[in-house]
Amino acid sequence: MNATKRFLRSRPYAFALVVFVVLLVANIVAQPSFASPSNWPETLAIFAPFGIAALASTPAIMSGGGGIDISIGPLMTVIDMIIVADLLPHGLGSPWIVVPFCLIAGAAVGAVNGTLVTVLRFQPVVATLCMNFILTGLATQIEGASTPQGSTWWTNDLASSFGPVPGGLISIAAPLLIWLALSRTAYLRNLYATGGDDAAAFSAGVDVTRVRILGYAIGGLFAGVGGLALMAVLREGEAGDATMYTLVALAAVALGGTAFTGKRGSLIGTLLGAGCMYLITNVLSAARVPDTWTDAIYGLLLLVAVIFGAGLASATQARTT
Amino acid sequence: MPSSPSKRRPQASPLAEAGPVALRVTGLAKAFGPTVALRSCSAEFRAGEVHAIMGENGSGKSTLVKILTGVHRPDAGTVELAGATARLVAAPGLRSPGAAIKAGIMAVFQEVLVVDSRSVLDNAWLGADATFGRHLPEAGRRARATAVFAELLPDGIDLDAPAGGLPLSQRQACAIVRVLLREPRVLILDEATSALDVATRDRLFAALGRRRASGMCTIFISHRMDEIGEIADRVTVLRSGESVGTLDRAEVTPDKLVQLMTGADHLAGGRSAHQRLDRPVSADSVLQVRELRLRPRAAPVSFTLRAGEVVGLAGLEGHGQDDFLRALWQGSPNGQVLRVAGTAATPIRSARHAAALGIGYVPRDRRSESLFAPLSVQENFGVVTSGADRRFGLLSHAARRARLAGYRDSLGIRMGKPTDLITTLSGGNQQKVVIARWLAREPRILLLNDPTRGIDLGAKRDIYALLDKLAADGVAVVMLSTELDEHVELMDRVLVFREGSVGAVVERDALSRAALVSAFFGQESPR
Repeated sequence: MNATKRFLRSRPYAFALVVFVVLLVANIVAQPSFASPSNWPETLAIFAPFGIAALASTPAIMSGGGGIDISIGPLMTVIDMIIVADLLPHGLGSPWIVVPFCLIAGAAVGAVNGTLVTVLRFQPVVATLCMNFILTGLATQIEGASTPQGSTWWTNDLASSFGPVPGGLISIAAPLLIWLALSRTAYLRNLYATGGDDAAAFSAGVDVTRVRILGYAIGGLFAGVGGLALMAVLREGEAGDATMYTLVALAAVALGGTAFTGKRGSLIGTLLGAGCMYLITNVLSAARVPDTWTDAIYGLLLLVAVIFGAGLASATQARTT
Repeated sequence: MPSSPSKRRPQASPLAEAGPVALRVTGLAKAFGPTVALRSCSAEFRAGEVHAIMGENGSGKSTLVKILTGVHRPDAGTVELAGATARLVAAPGLRSPGAAIKAGIMAVFQEVLVVDSRSVLDNAWLGADATFGRHLPEAGRRARATAVFAELLPDGIDLDAPAGGLPLSQRQACAIVRVLLREPRVLILDEATSALDVATRDRLFAALGRRRASGMCTIFISHRMDEIGEIADRVTVLRSGESVGTLDRAEVTPDKLVQLMTGADHLAGGRSAHQRLDRPVSADSVLQVRELRLRPRAAPVSFTLRAGEVVGLAGLEGHGQDDFLRALWQGSPNGQVLRVAGTAATPIRSARHAAALGIGYVPRDRRSESLFAPLSVQENFGVVTSGADRRFGLLSHAARRARLAGYRDSLGIRMGKPTDLITTLSGGNQQKVVIARWLAREPRILLLNDPTRGIDLGAKRDIYALLDKLAADGVAVVMLSTELDEHVELMDRVLVFREGSVGAVVERDALSRAALVSAFFGQESPR
């Protein structure tokens, strides 16, 4: 029992991992075909945009100081729409154009958010809410009178699979690989330190401002990947989708054990959290629970996660003082 | 002086034999709004020496440190730093702690700055990297951190444990190792030893001694006279933001330091314009503190407050006086705080309870703890005594205005209309409104936390006179103040706090600036 507790405390994502495994089993029991490999590409492709939205929301929160980015959903939608409405119709559908565009545009918007928050000292919620409105408005502009549609060979593969590899897996792996690469630099350590105690980091000479701006920019970069994954699976751009992911992505972050104070957190936890939320919708629909109930159950699950997470955190603190 | 390798000859041109100047500050000045924190500070710090800086609260020590570490930029004056050629060059680039560290100036503070969630190893190397770039391989880090930790903690430390789980002394050791690893040219210890246990502190002093030979200059700030006596080669004294003298080790005596810190000569001609009422202190106790432990290892405090007396709480910042005052107001789980009336003694459970028992509290930070900025003067005044303004079950503004008018006259509150916003008043008048708010509840005990901070002289005088009058009416007053003169003028006795406990009690007839400053630094009063 004590060993279990220690394991749970030292790994903030442990709770999400346990829930994830339980839900996975529940899904397979409720719907045996869920486990069949032929269904994986589709499942992963549908999950990818949501999972990536959650991943993209994490770095800003981990940078501490009340950091949060609620413009991730609209950013993904705008990127989706620009690909469908502007790039594809003009023959710019090559991955060598689309992918760099997504990454650069995403990171740039994230960097603007980070600058608003750190240099101009806007409240993170206010700054990114403004960005949320701006991007949603932009999406409506691009949409115009009719919903633009489009796709090309490689985005179709991204929504199914590249040979044996599911496309959704590639989309989700991209942010994780970027994160892994960052863990080989000093950046992640600086990010964790800044989120953990910004005064200590600042006095030790960490450039807290730069670390935070980069946190938002990396979130934006991930959102760029997410926009692409969204476009691949939807094959259209609808401005109404813009706000869809914002709050559920944050719920996934919380469920994954990342504290909104920035004091602890992990990307893998967020992915597990997002996985839990996806699986729960899935198991509810497999069990023929009406759609109208899923939101209420989301909320309840989040509440449990927050209480449980807070309990773990305070237990850890009690040990240290 | 066990750890110093260099023998110091007392006279004969000490400048010539000591190391070259590593850091020179000239005419540094810094003001925050109307408050002048540093007026004119000049000093030379030499390579290889331990140079202590002493001064009481508000003398400018922390401001000097913050300028040197790049947190603040000075309004005037220069900082020169010895470059690689040992020639002094102006150091205008101290724009952030990061820049100061690059220039070789690093500091450890009283407040323990470690990231609790990160490992000891990460904390030791915190800030050593650029945002992305790493300057050392992982293995080299471990070995070097282990070596430096061994100097402070010979029993070893788990480099992979989260720092938050360590005892305070070891957490501070992490912060010290962090700077030592980066081989500073100038190391600033700003009360950093107060978080260390004695054994670790002694090992730190030995470690500093070993680094003299390589020319590291240590700027040492401490409230412990014995520590300064043990390792300081020279002492610079600051008073009211000015550097008033640098003493060589041989010239240092506690009396001389106290004299420099208090500027005893300027006080010789009469104390102040304020005439303290001569009043008897009643024998009735109104508040009792029994065995209150402010910090886990500090000695417990017992204290009895009598009706009609004015008691001062003094000490260098952060020595427990704040916690003590708060315990009087809210009670404390670490000891008994009893409101005494006649033979009955009631333990105080909470702030609300205290207010019901006739205790009033004026907090330190007006803006965040006691004012309602969006409300008017009369609303700020009447906010906790609305019941008195009730007419037929509704609030009567006329009744409130009438009540306020009484206090406005007796406290001399200078204000426009009672419906003007509280923020239109000056700081002193705002404070008077806060005090009037409590007086309206007719407290028998009034607790004040540095009530005259940042307010003008006239308003201060009014508040002194008011406290005198309250005491004459039998109200017991406990007031924390960071100003020596306030204690000397106003108090019947002063509790001087040191390291979480009462270090000395100075009675009225022994009160002087020198006596207080001596007590701050744990010295016998020079009489």
